[in-house]
Amino acid sequence: MNSSTMQMDRPKGLKLSDLLVTILLSLVIGVVYHFWGSVNDLFKPLFFQADELMYGMWFLASTLAALLIRKPGVALLAEVAAAHVEILFGSEWGLQLAIYGVAQGLAAELIFALFRYRKFSMGVAALAGMASGLGSFLVDVYYGYVTDYTTWMIVFKYVMRLISSAVLAGYLAYALTKALEATGVTQLLRPVTAKDYEALDHD
Amino acid sequence: MTMQHSAVHETGQGADQRSGQIAVSVTDLRLKFPGEKAFVFKDVSLSVPAGEKVLLLGPSGCGKSTLLQVLGGLIPAVIDVPLKYADIRKPRSGGYVFQDPDTQFCMPYVDEELAFVLENRQVAREDMVPRMQEALGRVGLDLEELHTPIERLSLGMKQRLALASVLLLEPEVLLLDEPSALLDPEGRQQIWEAVRGVSAGRTVLIVEHRIEEIVNWVDRIVLFAPDGSILADGKPAEIFTAYRRVLQENGIWYPGVWEDYIRHRDTWNSGLLQSPQQGADLAAPVLSLRGFVGLRGDAPAIMVEEAEVYAGDFVAVVGPNGAGKSSLLLSLMQLLPTAGSYVLEGRPLQGRGRKRTCPSDRIGFVFQNPEFQFVAQTVLEETAFSLHMQGGMSRAEVERKAEDCLKTFHLHGLENRHPYQLSTGQKRRLSVATAAVRRQAVLLLDEPTFGQDARNAFAILEYCEALRRSGTAIIMVTHEREIAELAATQVWEIQGGSLTAIKPGRRRLEGDGAASDAQEEVSG
Amino acid sequence: MNRFLTPSRHTWLHRANPSLKLAVLIMLFIVTIQTRSIDFAVYQAAVYIALLFLLSGYPAWKVALLVLSFSLVFVSSSLTMILFGKGDHVWWQWGLFRVSEESFYRGLHLGFRAIAFAAEGLLFVMTTPSVKLFYSLMQNFRLPPKFAYSFMASIRLLSIVWEEFLIRRQALRIRGVRTGRGPRGLLEHVRLYAVPLLSQSIRRAHRVAVAMEAKQFSGSGRRTYYYPSAFSWYDGLAVLMFVIALAAAYYAAAALPWFGIEDVRYHGQG
Repeated sequence: MNSSTMQMDRPKGLKLSDLLVTILLSLVIGVVYHFWGSVNDLFKPLFFQADELMYGMWFLASTLAALLIRKPGVALLAEVAAAHVEILFGSEWGLQLAIYGVAQGLAAELIFALFRYRKFSMGVAALAGMASGLGSFLVDVYYGYVTDYTTWMIVFKYVMRLISSAVLAGYLAYALTKALEATGVTQLLRPVTAKDYEALDHD
Repeated sequence: MTMQHSAVHETGQGADQRSGQIAVSVTDLRLKFPGEKAFVFKDVSLSVPAGEKVLLLGPSGCGKSTLLQVLGGLIPAVIDVPLKYADIRKPRSGGYVFQDPDTQFCMPYVDEELAFVLENRQVAREDMVPRMQEALGRVGLDLEELHTPIERLSLGMKQRLALASVLLLEPEVLLLDEPSALLDPEGRQQIWEAVRGVSAGRTVLIVEHRIEEIVNWVDRIVLFAPDGSILADGKPAEIFTAYRRVLQENGIWYPGVWEDYIRHRDTWNSGLLQSPQQGADLAAPVLSLRGFVGLRGDAPAIMVEEAEVYAGDFVAVVGPNGAGKSSLLLSLMQLLPTAGSYVLEGRPLQGRGRKRTCPSDRIGFVFQNPEFQFVAQTVLEETAFSLHMQGGMSRAEVERKAEDCLKTFHLHGLENRHPYQLSTGQKRRLSVATAAVRRQAVLLLDEPTFGQDARNAFAILEYCEALRRSGTAIIMVTHEREIAELAATQVWEIQGGSLTAIKPGRRRLEGDGAASDAQEEVSG
Repeated sequence: MNRFLTPSRHTWLHRANPSLKLAVLIMLFIVTIQTRSIDFAVYQAAVYIALLFLLSGYPAWKVALLVLSFSLVFVSSSLTMILFGKGDHVWWQWGLFRVSEESFYRGLHLGFRAIAFAAEGLLFVMTTPSVKLFYSLMQNFRLPPKFAYSFMASIRLLSIVWEEFLIRRQALRIRGVRTGRGPRGLLEHVRLYAVPLLSQSIRRAHRVAVAMEAKQFSGSGRRTYYYPSAFSWYDGLAVLMFVIALAAAYYAAAALPWFGIEDVRYHGQG
């Protein structure tokens, strides 16, 4: 039989559908964050630094996309796409967020790469989220002089950010992935394995 | 014109196309989705000569659309699904029109979308506009301005736009995957007219449940069994005489299906709702409107001068797209602010301001897309949720009632399934079940038969009819002329944002003896 | 929202090449990031806001609204630094709050710089439709079409997701769904919206991708372009104008300083 077994040995690069799914998910999350951010801005002077507790939302796009699609490059693309929303909506934060997006996305990507894109557990997602948090810290240092805060403030702000990253980008992303898997829609995203082809030969 | 399509030839002999030659074929196809037990296809073969118009028929979920995607080469090149075959012949160029009008386009404007195809084929910029105009003309889409937002087109126009963009591919083979399933009757007529207009000299493969418009035009029908095997293959006339019963079982909308349904209602749907009379007060209207206006922003979206609905009424709300039918339902549900008098079960509702509340305890609502109203993670919880909302029942009682309800709607055995994992028809039935389980006085339905096969559509109609008999007032927005004629006690015509006429329904369901049969049957 | 975001007239800045505009604005952005002088930051904010009024193509009242919103940006960018920044000349102290001369000016500087960023970003966004940007990036910066079209298709789908969000909200009201308080209630709330919207988005995105590839979209390789993206003398004009604007801000900061602080970073002994 001239079975098309060649198909399954194709490189597992990003297909067009992977790109579209990643970008659309990130845009949706970006929109949520945008509106959240506008509300947040209003209250920021009142509940000072409370926004740090939601900061992990920013990294949700990249860990969620990575958990769903499980391919290299997705985490980075997701962050850039989510930042793109701000540019699209004419947000006051537009351009600077592009820089944050790249730094945060690269950091998350690095964690998934360390696990060789084989492990997509809650722990890995939380680590990836925290790495993004660290990435954002580095940009902050350069751009916002945060090292010029009093020391307790630096610690307070970034510990909150790390906790938020672990919870939102780790736990929440994982919970959402599980909930989406239950609907069956993730079948569309997961690559076909050699075993699936073998199943064709059994009756 | 130069042809620049990428040649896909797995059999090798890159032959020229002469009449009588095979356009597409596959031999001994095996296909199975990852993780599933059952094969979609097991050693299926099909061959279509060039120029033939073939209709693939079968029950929902038998894999016809999948076969179309294999024959056109989308599987496995674009969609990764494990398959094997002894031999395949794919068309040198194929063009698809899919079911969902909103997911075929990638650009926001008509011209940009058509340009996308021309760019893919490296057509020079100067040639683009004339080609777009020609393609749009051929599908009968007259737009004043090429740069029109796609979102402003009706569903039917979107499908013709999809066909126009396919024409720009200059395909040998047209592959149509339920292109009219989501259209109203007018849209259906127009898309098929357009297809007929452009298919001269082309091979056409069609998957569709609604076949009234094309059944006399296709050369050949291939009938599939639920397990994906080919049950019959022949001329339309032969299939219709020999396999009428199978068509009925498969939910095909063949010509005359409504007549068959009325004549043999008991064979279509057995064991439906039992109807305990609620002792409703038949003298007073359950819902009455006077000078009623539903507002979007500050502009009136729907106006009703005067209308009354009694227990046991079946109101069919009809009218063209965008006339205000959905606004009417939303206004009745108080999801839009309203003005004027609206009395529900004897109590007037406050349509504006802070006191406006959604009367979900007295009105059930069935959305057009069932998935949007699901809130739980299993079918049983989904049904139980509505009962919990009602309150005043023990857990066990809720569970028992929910189970009963699922039985009535033929969903038993699926209790632990995620609602999203149901088939289209099951999802629809579940959405009606969850809206009806509390036995509210009124049930609103927004095009519940939309996109359903005939069998499911009739089932929904029967459930509504049974609920009506038990005293529920049904208000259903529908495009099916037959529903208005058969089942409605009142037909409300909506036009240009107001209720323009109320006509008595003909209630042809009542005339037959079959109607009472259905009522007497007790669900098991 | 789309209507609000459509310019009422096209200025010559709309006609400049989007990629080039992006490149120029990124340069300006880098200049702003490198700015340590508070006066230079103030004047940058001022010139870019002036350009917004002149060249965005939006009516002045809309631009004014946006500029007003900059005050929020200012506050949220500067307040933390003012209240908690390092500094030796303490002006005021109350509990954890500690405003010093250095932290105060550093905070103001951050605020003005944030306004400058915001104005730069808006200058780009308000004069560049996203479809034109992606067409230009494909042609001038060799962005692979599969990325460009994925973005454009996703932006189109985004408005559908928004409509679905509204439907879902209605549906939850009709079903009478109420979520509890606290983190569990919040999580439940997120699930109720996220699962239908995201699963539908995944399916849609997948279907659109299939439809695109069915139309012989290869994602890379040669293609023609419906919207040409060439360079014109408007581009030269744009570059020139931005250079002049920046120079003007620099000169003004030197000639008419308000604060006279050259470097706001902390150099004391912590």
